[in-house]
Amino acid sequence: MRIISSFLCPVLCVSLAAVAADEKPGVIPEKLAGLFAAQGKDGKPTITPEQRTYFDGLNDRLKALLIKTVEAEVITRPEHLGTILALGLRPQKMEILLQDNCILCHTDPEVQKPETLLTLSPAPGKTPSHLNLQDFVDDVHFLRGLSCAGCHGGDPGSDKLEHSFVKEWPSAGRDKDRGWILSFCARCHSDSTFMNRFNPALPTDQLAKYKDSPHGKFLLEARDARAPDCLSCHGVHGIRSAKNPLSKVYRKRVPETCGACHSDAKRMAGLTLSDGSPMPTNQLAEYRASVHGRALLERGDLGAPACNNCHGNHAAMPTGLSSVSQSCSLCHAGNASLFDGSKHKQAFEEHKWPQCAKCHGNHVIAKTHDSMLAAGQESLCNKCHQQYAKDNPECNATATYFYTSLAQMDQVWNEFGVTADRLAMKGLDVDPIHDKLNELADSLKQARSHIHSFSKNDFQRAADPGEKAVLGISRLVEEAKAEYRFRQLGLVTTIALMGLVMLALYVKLRRLER
Amino acid sequence: MSDSGHGQGWLGWLDRRYQITPLIEFLRHKEVPKGPHSMVWYYLGGMTMFFFLVQVVTGVLLLMYYQPGEATAYESIRYLTTKVPFGWLMRSVHCWSAHLMIISLVTHMFSTMMLKAYRPPRELTWVTGYILFALTLGFGFSGYLLPWNKLAFFATSVGTDLVKSVPLIGNWLLQVLRGGPDVTANTLYRFFALHVVILPLAFVSLIGVHLLFVQRQGMAPPLGAKVAPRGMRFFPSFALRDLLLWLVCFMVLLVLAVFVPYGPGIPGMDWELGQKADPLAPAFPGIKPEWYFLWEYQLLKEFPPHLFGLEGPQLCLLVVSLLLGIWAIIPWLDRQAQREQPSPGFSDFGWGAILFLTFLTLKAWDIGAMEPATSGSSLKVISRTCAWWTIGAGAVIIGIRWLLQSSRQSSPPSASR
Repeated sequence: MRIISSFLCPVLCVSLAAVAADEKPGVIPEKLAGLFAAQGKDGKPTITPEQRTYFDGLNDRLKALLIKTVEAEVITRPEHLGTILALGLRPQKMEILLQDNCILCHTDPEVQKPETLLTLSPAPGKTPSHLNLQDFVDDVHFLRGLSCAGCHGGDPGSDKLEHSFVKEWPSAGRDKDRGWILSFCARCHSDSTFMNRFNPALPTDQLAKYKDSPHGKFLLEARDARAPDCLSCHGVHGIRSAKNPLSKVYRKRVPETCGACHSDAKRMAGLTLSDGSPMPTNQLAEYRASVHGRALLERGDLGAPACNNCHGNHAAMPTGLSSVSQSCSLCHAGNASLFDGSKHKQAFEEHKWPQCAKCHGNHVIAKTHDSMLAAGQESLCNKCHQQYAKDNPECNATATYFYTSLAQMDQVWNEFGVTADRLAMKGLDVDPIHDKLNELADSLKQARSHIHSFSKNDFQRAADPGEKAVLGISRLVEEAKAEYRFRQLGLVTTIALMGLVMLALYVKLRRLER
Repeated sequence: MSDSGHGQGWLGWLDRRYQITPLIEFLRHKEVPKGPHSMVWYYLGGMTMFFFLVQVVTGVLLLMYYQPGEATAYESIRYLTTKVPFGWLMRSVHCWSAHLMIISLVTHMFSTMMLKAYRPPRELTWVTGYILFALTLGFGFSGYLLPWNKLAFFATSVGTDLVKSVPLIGNWLLQVLRGGPDVTANTLYRFFALHVVILPLAFVSLIGVHLLFVQRQGMAPPLGAKVAPRGMRFFPSFALRDLLLWLVCFMVLLVLAVFVPYGPGIPGMDWELGQKADPLAPAFPGIKPEWYFLWEYQLLKEFPPHLFGLEGPQLCLLVVSLLLGIWAIIPWLDRQAQREQPSPGFSDFGWGAILFLTFLTLKAWDIGAMEPATSGSSLKVISRTCAWWTIGAGAVIIGIRWLLQSSRQSSPPSASR
């Protein structure tokens, strides 16, 4: 009921305010005019022209609400008024703010101490993040009318401070044992009927998933204060939608948010993985250097995965899951399907190896290269086969075959690319060559993917179009070179003929002038 | 006249019908003045006309395949250069010939200026030549857009934007030029009409007038020659030499077209087709116009945004219009040349113009800026320093020459002895 009332309250207040606003439009009462006219020590008006312009642009209802607030002496100082106007809020938000005495009081620097003042100019490193006023009004809850009272309790319409607020919070030890935060947030977020009114697309199973995750077990069962609660990832005030780039759980910021704890060796001390090995703290550094990390963090490719895309978010690594390798197949479906049909699938399962991660790594997934198949130092195939399948020489032969074919196609693609550019500079038509080069590139990509079948036949089927393309390119390049030779020959012939004509003209001229 | 002895041959046949004897007699007696000066300068007009004829022939051949239109212009040029036999050669020759025509025309104009060939009675020959020069630049500007590729599209957008600076009618003029507020297919249609109909008609008419003047008055003798010097017979001596030169030009054109089909790759002298124009794509940095407009492009950049209560581009346009106006009426301004006396002041004006245009063009090219090892800012400093030194040295030379000339004129005859 309290929650509902906190949502309804603004609506009622708006209605009341509309009645109260039955004043002459455009006339600014004396108190407000006084605040507008007030000057600072430097003799300049405290209310800036931009703030005044913002006020002038407010609709009549909002002006009436502001006037009412000033008349009720909730706002009595020009600096305080300036802070409210400086927010430059949209009408919907301003309406909520002007009816919320909690915010109005907590933005008055004369009344509040630094530790309770919501400010627009937080001191870096000193002001706690939850006191950032701008963050507060940008909060996704504030936009939907859920303001201070929604969580803290109390009556935002009352001008008296009743100590009924925070009564739903644990009275003692709430900072040490933060398990209550989960159930507190879940009052709304696990209530599908309630949440449906605001965001039907938002799931309501976060708490259930969280409870089953190692995070949940640490916090709720082991009472380990190092475990994260809702606020650890989403923030306190200033919670934004995950689609908002400023949100702590926006895809590009997720690695940083997770890394805040998981890169902290002190915080991770004593924690172990499911196999009993110590919890590593280099995941973030490895991820940043990986193809995924570079794609997401450097190139801004939002299709690249962050931590939660493989590990889950609220259900990060639930019970019974030893590896997140399966999540690779969500994006790399083709390779995963080929692997599933290969003989390696069974072998990997027998050894209980994580599938993709065994060759490609987990956080530090580097760009693949053909030499991973070769017989040299970088060979992945050799490393495993020497240890686990020494007696299968045909496997090494297959790997060598893959490598040789791919290397040849790659070399041809590079060389003919350069040749095509040179021919283009000579003015020859290289479009057909580029078409064939594209066919070769496609086939090369397919063939590289079909490595995961570990089958020579499958690989060859993918490589065949590329090999045909190579023949086509060779023919086209020869034709283009022949065309250029023809042009040169034509030019030489033409110049020779013209030279003869010129010689004849010259002889004629000399005879005429003799 | 028709009985003057062309007999029964084909000349006689023509003469009996069209009375061509006076024309033949005129050609037979026409002479080109010979003197201590080089004869080279007399061939430049003919060379320019040769390049124009190449333009007409290759232009007509290109026209057989070119289809103006947003969806067809680029495609038709691409088809022409890749699929049509010798289409690549036609386009390449057309582009090279356009650039060589402008080089030849500019050289012709400056040689006329330096030799003071504009002096009476050839003032109108200068003026018609001047208009022909303007029309040639118009050919270059309108033809540039026709392939409808990315570079041409943005360069035309920037180039046409300049007319906005014309006071009072600037915006209207822009609309007329573009056929709307932006460069669209409408601009392409009107540039096409300009390039293949309006400008050629005007050019051919004017070239006829220009040649008529030259034929009526003959080529200008060297300055100070009170009696026309003994000349070279126009036909066949001069005409055959002209023909030889044209053949050399044609050879050069073919060699360039085959070996450097897309131009030398200098900004403003590069006609690789590249990508199709996309009006919705953002303009890319480094857009520069054709080399013969680079001086004006650079001058616009040199002007501050506001000066003397005027917008920078407006003031730039005013200065350029003033200079071009002076250039057009030089025959009437150069009183000394009118009296068959040397006029070093005007020679210096010509040299100053060459220095001015060269400096601005070189600066616009940012020589060496494409080298990744050199930083852009240091190159700017170098180019700016060179520019100021060029201007300063030019001003000093012009000033000294002016002073020397003034002192010679003011000193009494005895002193000079």
